[in-house]
Amino acid sequence: MGLIKKLPYYSEKIPGGAIVTTVLETVLHQAQAKSLWYLLFGTACCAIELMCTGASRFDFDRLGMFYRATPRQADLIIVAGTITKKMGPRLRRLYDQMAEPRYVIAMGGCTISGGPFYYDSYAVEKGIDHIIPVDIYIPGCPPRPESLLEGCIHLQEKIKKQKLSDWQEK
Amino acid sequence: MVELPTEEFVVNMGPQHPATHGVARLILTLDGEKIVKIEPVIGYLHRAIEKVCENRTYAQCIPIIDRFEYVTAMSCNYAFSLAAEKLAGIEVPERAEYLRVIMLELNRIASHLLFYGVTAMDIGAVTPFLYGLRERELIVDLFEMTCGQRLTYSYNRIGGVSRDIPKEFIPQTHEAIKIIGAKLSDYEGLLNENPIWLARTRGIGVLPKETAIAYGVSGPVLRASGVQYDIRRNDPYSIYDRFDFDIPVRYHGDCYDRYLLRLDEIRQSIRIITQALDGLPGGEIRAKVSPNFKPPPGEVYSRIENSRGEMGIYLVSDGTKKPLRVKARGSSYNHFEVLPQFGTNLLVADIVAIFATLDIIVPEIDR
Amino acid sequence: MTKDELKEYVSTHFDGKLTPLDTGRYDPMFQVKVEDLLEVARALKADKNLQFDFLCNLAGVDTKEHFEAVYSIASISKNLRLDFKLILPYDKAEVESVQEVWPGINWYEREMWELYGINVLNHDNLKRFLLPDDWDQGYPMRKDWDAPDFKRMPEF
Repeated sequence: MGLIKKLPYYSEKIPGGAIVTTVLETVLHQAQAKSLWYLLFGTACCAIELMCTGASRFDFDRLGMFYRATPRQADLIIVAGTITKKMGPRLRRLYDQMAEPRYVIAMGGCTISGGPFYYDSYAVEKGIDHIIPVDIYIPGCPPRPESLLEGCIHLQEKIKKQKLSDWQEK
Repeated sequence: MVELPTEEFVVNMGPQHPATHGVARLILTLDGEKIVKIEPVIGYLHRAIEKVCENRTYAQCIPIIDRFEYVTAMSCNYAFSLAAEKLAGIEVPERAEYLRVIMLELNRIASHLLFYGVTAMDIGAVTPFLYGLRERELIVDLFEMTCGQRLTYSYNRIGGVSRDIPKEFIPQTHEAIKIIGAKLSDYEGLLNENPIWLARTRGIGVLPKETAIAYGVSGPVLRASGVQYDIRRNDPYSIYDRFDFDIPVRYHGDCYDRYLLRLDEIRQSIRIITQALDGLPGGEIRAKVSPNFKPPPGEVYSRIENSRGEMGIYLVSDGTKKPLRVKARGSSYNHFEVLPQFGTNLLVADIVAIFATLDIIVPEIDR
Repeated sequence: MTKDELKEYVSTHFDGKLTPLDTGRYDPMFQVKVEDLLEVARALKADKNLQFDFLCNLAGVDTKEHFEAVYSIASISKNLRLDFKLILPYDKAEVESVQEVWPGINWYEREMWELYGINVLNHDNLKRFLLPDDWDQGYPMRKDWDAPDFKRMPEF
């Protein structure tokens, strides 16, 4: 993304050069939004619903999403399941290994605020947004596969609203 | 041929891995491709369910115990309700017992279908994953029709069940088990005689009978090593002594036998469901239990035959409305403990096959 | 053997080291003294009529007056089940390890040490495994344990 980050700075100076930026943005948005590859990271009960969403009846592949086993090849991480205090640093390490642009979906009640384990549990992280920055929250315990598909479509809308100047180096 | 000197090195099969079912970690010491030592590490999903249950009333504990083993959530609820009913001496009505048996056996079939899909995917075949989950959706539709949830049901309550079945349930169940019974021959045709499958699973990971009993292994893993012990037959609970079914046993104890045994068990569960649907009586679905349920002081260890093995709940009551101690015993705890005993003549690919056929679910280990 | 016959048999044999209690609501429950544990375990496994070779469960309990360690065992060949417990005072909570009789009890004893603080003698691997590696806040399953970020559910 190095050259692309510098391009709007130069093309804005030419009269009519903004069209380069908008055309490039449209192409990039289609490329990113329609082929999000997610990391297989299922911890607890929501992982079974994630597997069902990727299987025959509700299909992830029609949105272009496909699972990868290593974070270096993924650009989306769907955190499905409870994150405990022992697992927190490992999640941070996986997030750091992903290349930009990267997105995070928090699936299920446990990742939003601790879920049914908020009270009386001594070993559960109460929400993942103080470990990694989250883009989309999907509530439910566990959420239905249709909710997960809708969350992914919201993420695609969010990607299409981004501008190249968000990634630009100042 | 010159022997090159090599030294051992340590590889981490870490918490995030596609072949560990959840967040289990193995530290492998390798000498070339052969495994010298296996050290399991757990604790990445320790959610303190037992401490949470000590501050909830008995009825509030049931959704928490659901998350203890979410693939067969009906069994978890049932084990807890059985323990509380034995403490207080409650009689459960007949219709509730029949409904419980039908739901437990449907859940066993769903869990074995998930095992079939995920095991084949771990060993490398991707098609059975889509077939197994497609049939599992038929059963999940039945559960959704009855209690509204797809995964963590909270259907069994203390004294009975929570809702009665709607009128479409019985014809749709007959339809579903007919389809599943017919598809089983498709599943066997895909994998049973396949030379790649036989090379990956036959003769791999043999567990001898004495080691299995000494380490507390139970369920299909024990029956594949030649011991005919099933809690539904040897130590019966509920109304299982009224039904006519066989207990399949196999004698080699390798991965192939463990896989075949679970397909046999699906057939036996279909037999039980057919008999239970034919004999379903009318009547109440729940005994009268006061909202302020306070069992007399005592303790009980209740156990049931889950699809993975023996699941037990040890419950202590001191006469108040909250339990004093709830300990949940899952069979995957012992199965993970016996993993280093499988011998030292294994390759890395064999560990994946053994791990998949032991059918381990991580929250049973960590709670 | 039925449950009453089992209770009778176990109380009379084994030199009276297992005293029956009446708190068990499903299986017979006995009490054993702390120093007799290893001998009783070996005898229960070796007896020809019983052959208790399968360990089901080991649970630590904190009643508010003392600790208890409760063992649940089974016999595969004779279809029998039995529970027995040890009562441990708060200031001297130690048990012997019975690993040589039932090897599967290794992890159960380790967990009981980690969450309750009951010491296990002659155990070969008493290290932390369920809690995070840098845990320094004590033994969480005790009834009087508390921490700054531990929220109790309010009564309603």
